Amino acid sequence: MYTIANELKDKIVYLNKVLSEKYSQVLSLDEMFLREFIEENVGPIRKVNKLTEEELAYYYQKGGILGVDGSRNRVGGAYPHFVEIYQGLAKSTIYKDKPIYKADFYSPLYDEKGEFPIEDSIEEEESIRNRKLSTIEIEAALEGIRQLKPYAVIMDGSLIRYDIESFTRWMELRRECEEKDIILVGVIKDIKTSIIGELLKEDKELNIEECFHDRELLYGMLEYGEMISIHGEVTKKAKEGFSSLFMRSSKAPTVIGMDILDSQKKYLEEMARLVLTLTPEDGRGVPLWIDIVDSEVKISDKMIRGLLESYLDRQILEMLFISERDKRTL
Amino acid sequence: MKVVGITTQQEVYVGSKDRNFRINEFLIISDPYQGDLMGEIVEAKTYNKYIPLSIHGELADSSVIESLKALGYNIEEDTIYIGKIRLLNEALYPVETGCDVRIPTFDEVKDIMINSPADEGLILGVIKNTDQMAKDMDEEYKNLLYTFEEGELKKQRDIPYIFNIRSMHQYPHIGVFGGSGSGKSFGLRVVLEELMKLNIPTIVLDPHFEMDFSQRGDYMPKEEEIDYRDKFKCLQVGFHVGVRFEDLSPQDLKNLLDASSPLTDAMNNVVDILFKRNDSYNSFYNRLKMLAEAQEEGSLDRIQLRIDSADSNLEREGWLKRKELFLTYDKTCPYNSVRGIIWRLNRLYNEGIFSKDIREIEDGLNMGKLIVIQGNTRILQVFSTYLLNNLYHRRRDYKDALYKKTTAEYFPPFIVVTDEAHNFAPKGYDSPSKSILKEISQEGRKYGTFLILATQRPTLLDETITAQLNTKFIFRTVRASDIQTIQEETDITVEEARRLPYLRTGDVFISEALMGRTIFARIRAAHTTSPHTENPFDELKNISKAEDEKFMQIIKNKLPINGDDFINVIKEIERDTGITYTVNIFEEKLEDLVTKGLIKKEKTPFFNIYKEI
Repeated sequence: MYTIANELKDKIVYLNKVLSEKYSQVLSLDEMFLREFIEENVGPIRKVNKLTEEELAYYYQKGGILGVDGSRNRVGGAYPHFVEIYQGLAKSTIYKDKPIYKADFYSPLYDEKGEFPIEDSIEEEESIRNRKLSTIEIEAALEGIRQLKPYAVIMDGSLIRYDIESFTRWMELRRECEEKDIILVGVIKDIKTSIIGELLKEDKELNIEECFHDRELLYGMLEYGEMISIHGEVTKKAKEGFSSLFMRSSKAPTVIGMDILDSQKKYLEEMARLVLTLTPEDGRGVPLWIDIVDSEVKISDKMIRGLLESYLDRQILEMLFISERDKRTL
Repeated sequence: MKVVGITTQQEVYVGSKDRNFRINEFLIISDPYQGDLMGEIVEAKTYNKYIPLSIHGELADSSVIESLKALGYNIEEDTIYIGKIRLLNEALYPVETGCDVRIPTFDEVKDIMINSPADEGLILGVIKNTDQMAKDMDEEYKNLLYTFEEGELKKQRDIPYIFNIRSMHQYPHIGVFGGSGSGKSFGLRVVLEELMKLNIPTIVLDPHFEMDFSQRGDYMPKEEEIDYRDKFKCLQVGFHVGVRFEDLSPQDLKNLLDASSPLTDAMNNVVDILFKRNDSYNSFYNRLKMLAEAQEEGSLDRIQLRIDSADSNLEREGWLKRKELFLTYDKTCPYNSVRGIIWRLNRLYNEGIFSKDIREIEDGLNMGKLIVIQGNTRILQVFSTYLLNNLYHRRRDYKDALYKKTTAEYFPPFIVVTDEAHNFAPKGYDSPSKSILKEISQEGRKYGTFLILATQRPTLLDETITAQLNTKFIFRTVRASDIQTIQEETDITVEEARRLPYLRTGDVFISEALMGRTIFARIRAAHTTSPHTENPFDELKNISKAEDEKFMQIIKNKLPINGDDFINVIKEIERDTGITYTVNIFEEKLEDLVTKGLIKKEKTPFFNIYKEI
């Protein structure tokens, strides 16, 4: 029982081999060369400093910072017998006692506006769920802006996500921020872009065939507090009206990304400094404020189970949402 | 404050967002089904989910927390407080989770905190962490005392701890345990002050010469000062009090001699044979001495020779007497044993024990005074054996006579107090004072004789006696073996035992049979101070300062003093004051004053000149 099947072990050895072959090229790239390449093609590398106390006090006067995050919990088994619960939270650093919560749910068993996927297309259904989560976060942000009038809003995740998944509500938020002059930024903990990778691939002199992700290329390359503000023309996001940057916000070698509205581009560096200020030096690179909002919006699966068990009829719960898996004890 | 988490019938956790819990604090849990349940906080913790204890980095560093604060968010406000409550009485069912917890009012806790009126009990201190309940306390219990906190005198804010002295009739004897510097002697002083207030006859065995109550604490407000001077009497063994030899029974005498140095069977026998009722010290001593002298001669013939060759009548008579003693006692009293008794008797005599009597003590007790008996440990052992035997049996005879409906002289009930009790009743070996203490510990209750025994080493105290101590005051204790003993002998909990090494001076756990639980208290500020409170290092400093000043005074009008003129100056000083210095010492002293900056020295090519500043 405690021995590992030999085949499994071999497979993992094999995985290690192919990965190290694939990345040997990246790993062998000279750091100085890569930095120069980035400066030339992607954008300037600059070191930023933390905000001063006066600047923070100014932010406080201007209404503080609003953090926005969402969470989802899924109960049940395979399609369509499940329900997903969404919760969004907007929390201001100043109005500690006024968190703004928004909630929604989705279940394929209930058709809201006849938007049932016509076929059982997974993508279709997935996009509804993503839309729900994005929408709930945008709604929380909207209400936060209206009620708490912050200086800036930090969303957890890329802004482009909202643009894609919940366009109309997003435009509303965007408009309102621009009108009221509230800075809107997204902090991306896990960057999935490959801006640099694509440029490297395009460069014929380098002879790189694979397209590497930015996360891989930037791993350990920036110093603590250094950021790359990305030229508009190299990112696809520019078309949607965003400006972005990469930054190493903690001593951890990973890099985070940030998005800001194009119209607010002048604040990009300032926001980078804010994020740097709010990130523990020895942490994972995530601003503490986002972590706090995240931990407050998150609902444990146990709690959701409890809620469903209390407020759904037992019969409905058992019939629809208890999967065979849930009953397994071994 | 709410009950959180999993509960049992004995223990629950309470959580609060804004109120920290204090250890030993009393709270009432309002259970909707079982009514109000009273409990005591036994563990207190705080927790902030955003500032976890993380060893692998990811610690919200202070700069980030400060920045967030600047932005208006104070992370510290997210701290929650958790306390573990142990119910005083086990509940029938587990406590309902989620029910409210509140601070009790005074009336609700009165029965478990106070069991004696303020004017009838010993007001020893305050019960710690009870200030919230003390607000609506009866006037009778307010402003009874002061406490010392961080070197400052504080007014009473908590509920007072009043020891019910009447309960000693049911639960006799008190033990006071604690290491040196824990507040033990000081606690004992407070107990004695209270006994004096109530005019309870008390005997204190004081090997440290510290139980003097004439020096008032200068820190006490003037109007609160209490004069104890006519309530106690310090008596030194051999100087003020002693044993009247004529009153000794053979057993008393044997005890005394044994306390001086242990007796062998043969020596016991010698005393039994040679000691006669109503012997005076001299008559007994002479008898021993003459017998020994006769035995030294070696045989009847030689004694006879002494008689025959005596120069005077007196001498002849003396030897005749010796001959008689030799004939009567030589077979039963071996020479070495006789010498042993002489040696022991001499020792006692030289300590002055036989020069006085205990009348003063008896009179004092009869007047309800506190009698402090001072002497070094060994002499106290000897004397206390005799004294306690004597007094206890006087009391006992009186009570027995009452019962038997015969008459006996009245003798009051009394309390015996001693510090370093392990010297008087040690575990593992016999000591004469131990047997009487043991007797009192076992049956003193019936006769109204009680013990208050203080020791730093409860482990070394006789176990039979320890078992009889129904109330225990436990001060800071560091030794593991003593903590072990305390745990075995009291109802102190594991958590409390763990706190023992860290108690502040003057903080005390009181384990009282009457209360059935342990109380965490702080001893009040004493009204009087020990004569030994001056710091020895201050003393050194003051003494040297005084010396310097004295010397300054002497040489002041001789300044400036030339280095080649010492002899003349010394002569002058000798003439004026009668104090003589050698040249070397005189120069040394002057140099000393120079280093201390009191005079200055000027160097010339020939000699130094010492000048006034």
